Amino acid sequence: MTGRKGADDRLRRILALVPWVAAHDGPTVDEVCARFGLTPDQLEQDLEQLFLCGLYPFTPDTLIEVDVADGRVWIRYADVFARPLRLTPAEGLALLASAEALLAGPDEDRDPVLERGLAKLAALLGIDPDETVDISLAPAPPESLVALRAAVADRRQVEIDYFSYGRNEWTTRIIDPLQVFNAAGRWYVAAYCHAVEDRRLFRLDRIGRTVVLETTFEPQREPVSHTTFDPRPHDPMVELELAPRARWVSEQYPNEGVEELPDGRTLVRLRISERGWLERLLLRLGPDVKVVSGDAEVGPAAAARLLRRYQTEPLP
Amino acid sequence: MERLERLINLVAALLAAERPLSRDEIDRRVPGYSGDHASATSARRAFERDKEVLRDMGIPLLMEAIDPSNPDSPPGYRIPRDEYYLPDPDLTPDELAALHVAVTTVRLEGLGAAEAIWKLGGTKAPSAAPDPLAALPGSEHLPVLFQAVAERRVVVFSYRDGARCLEPHRLAFRNGHWYASGRDADKDEPRSFRVDRIASDVALGPPQAFERPVDAAAPPPPPWEMGDEEPIEARLLVEADQVPWVTGEVGEGANVERRPDGSAVVTLRVTNRGAFRSFALGLLDRGEVLGPPELRDEMVSWLRGLADEGAR
Repeated sequence: MTGRKGADDRLRRILALVPWVAAHDGPTVDEVCARFGLTPDQLEQDLEQLFLCGLYPFTPDTLIEVDVADGRVWIRYADVFARPLRLTPAEGLALLASAEALLAGPDEDRDPVLERGLAKLAALLGIDPDETVDISLAPAPPESLVALRAAVADRRQVEIDYFSYGRNEWTTRIIDPLQVFNAAGRWYVAAYCHAVEDRRLFRLDRIGRTVVLETTFEPQREPVSHTTFDPRPHDPMVELELAPRARWVSEQYPNEGVEELPDGRTLVRLRISERGWLERLLLRLGPDVKVVSGDAEVGPAAAARLLRRYQTEPLP
Repeated sequence: MERLERLINLVAALLAAERPLSRDEIDRRVPGYSGDHASATSARRAFERDKEVLRDMGIPLLMEAIDPSNPDSPPGYRIPRDEYYLPDPDLTPDELAALHVAVTTVRLEGLGAAEAIWKLGGTKAPSAAPDPLAALPGSEHLPVLFQAVAERRVVVFSYRDGARCLEPHRLAFRNGHWYASGRDADKDEPRSFRVDRIASDVALGPPQAFERPVDAAAPPPPPWEMGDEEPIEARLLVEADQVPWVTGEVGEGANVERRPDGSAVVTLRVTNRGAFRSFALGLLDRGEVLGPPELRDEMVSWLRGLADEGAR
């Protein structure tokens, strides 16, 4: 199956590569490789596929001609592949959405070159991008965004007040901010946290006070992980029985297994690193979820705690 | 004959043909479908598989009557050049490079941005690769919905409570989710649907089927306004430390009344009480539904039902 997928990827690449090489007068092998993300060996293999390709009756004048000499490559008699295949809707959307997201991003200086590229692309796809695709990376760009991005660039330490959603409490910590990024509509800063002496992700909309310090930190080599939820093997496990309406839980969160039960119900096993997270899930799902194994008191205790707020009537 | 060669030759033959080619003609013109080694059934299977591969790639492989003046003539296959060939978008090298930077810094899951850049001529990777800035979740339904928006096709799909028929005016990404919004053709009113809650394939109608209204650009409503229920003005008390987060969620235009102690009362128009309840519960004990009494009572009985579970 993977072999077949690999062959399909090669076909896509060849159908894009042939028109480009044919339209240019002997580009260098290095340039073709750089443009199409290939090694010279892969390019050679792709070109070999073309030696017997062309049109019936496959006489020399109807065969595609491939020449490789002096580090340059020529493709001739490929008129039938004069243009690449049209963009699929998925490809058009990928380009458009990425460009729109970047232009709607935090950088004050919108790149006019990208704006022009986006406009030409939209014309090609026959749409008005402002009218038809609208990307908002986050509800509102947090105030700390600009300060943290600058701190990443300058390698300055930052002191933050952070609300831990999972533990439902505020703490103050000093971090070495490594990268600011957006995942699924939320801004995060990946940082080395001196309080826990380890890397952590912090959601920008849960950062309160932000003070950029004078102290700098050394750059770190290890790549930054964008995994926003990373269950650890020693986290306690709960098994939840979900009503059909709550099936999305088993699709949305990383889990340790899903079983189908009668009547469209499902059983999902989740590792829970923080109690507050489970409290919210159970409170929101209400009667659509049953804790089959694990601490069955989490939901009822949280509900009782919230109810205490409602014992006295609010002031008008 | 290798499969890849056979596919390239098949595309070439169908692109070059001036009229649809019959299966026999394809067998003669494309090596690999006939000959000593291929039995008739395995050749037929190979052709069926290849056809699917090409269609999955987005190649417009049509099956039509070979003689257009006689609809009863036997069917053949062709790839219309004007539907296959990508018109030249006339991008300058720096514009293409900027688009390349865009797709490497903002990634959409599973949407084939690399292939798109190849088709536009490919571009060299920037010498200093930019840090990825954002990752947007994908969905199997996005490409077909995008096509429907671009070509103004009506779509039909099943969603929660049944089949929906939508004139899709636009796609939006908000709060981490994709929304398709437009006119609900059955109810004749504007609607937004969360793409990840679409529970079936999305069926496409014919192109250019409707006009997109000029005011289509309104953003999708927040979850608590995505419903049919009788509108109610909810008042939610938010403790001071949660105010920045909540004001970000409800948007800039929302009615937020700040109190001297730093807390705030947010007034929201609610037409989906379940979604409002979920939003309020996200605050745990740092928020409280103040009113109206009807909504406050609903929250109390919801919580009481859950608290009593533990007592049993």
